[in-house]
Amino acid sequence: MAPTKVKPKVYALSTCPYCKRTKRFLDEHKIAYDGVDVDLLDDAKQDQVIDEVEKLTGKRAFPVVIIGKEIIVGHDEVKLKKALGL
Amino acid sequence: MSVPRQERVYCPVCLTKFKFVPGWKAGDVVICPICGEKLVLERGPEGWNGSRVDKGTEREIRERSEEFARLRGYVFNDMKEDILEGLVGKNARFGDFYCPCRMMHVPEYQCPCQPTRAGDVEANGKCYCGFFWKKGALPNPVPPLPR
Repeated sequence: MAPTKVKPKVYALSTCPYCKRTKRFLDEHKIAYDGVDVDLLDDAKQDQVIDEVEKLTGKRAFPVVIIGKEIIVGHDEVKLKKALGL
Repeated sequence: MSVPRQERVYCPVCLTKFKFVPGWKAGDVVICPICGEKLVLERGPEGWNGSRVDKGTEREIRERSEEFARLRGYVFNDMKEDILEGLVGKNARFGDFYCPCRMMHVPEYQCPCQPTRAGDVEANGKCYCGFFWKKGALPNPVPPLPR
């Protein structure tokens, strides 16, 4: 399967070790992504992004990776590889 | 015959009091039996207080978490150093060692967080962050979050 051309979106916390592993995984596989550290946003923007995350996942757990229609909550390399076609 | 009142020491990390052991005196360094924090005893007008040793340093959170694990019989996995790094980052950005895997920066999520102190590890095999593990519950390889 060819690697996906969809640019993943990553919602993370700046201090979360699992979020760092997810970002590192994407970097190591040279996957460009749009990332946001939710805890570093100003209050208004943070509320807006948390609402988005809760609508998508039903919870406030990080990291969240959106790849097309796939939503991956938590650092899960098996799911990432499958969704990215690696 | 009246029973002598049990004196207690206030811990500023877990925000509760633990038993004062006869023979302790002001200036002694003791370990909070609830959260593992190293405290210097001080006598205040309201009673005994603990003052955090090495407050805000990596050494403080490392020793606290290792002492907490020792007290409860918990173990760490290969995420230990990454989570400690996250805790140090929380302190630098948000003022104290709050759980690095949570959004909230409130005293009850000071590591070890209140749910962990209340028995989350016993119930789930690990704390929310996967920092503290119940012996025997540690899988290999490390599973993803969330639970």
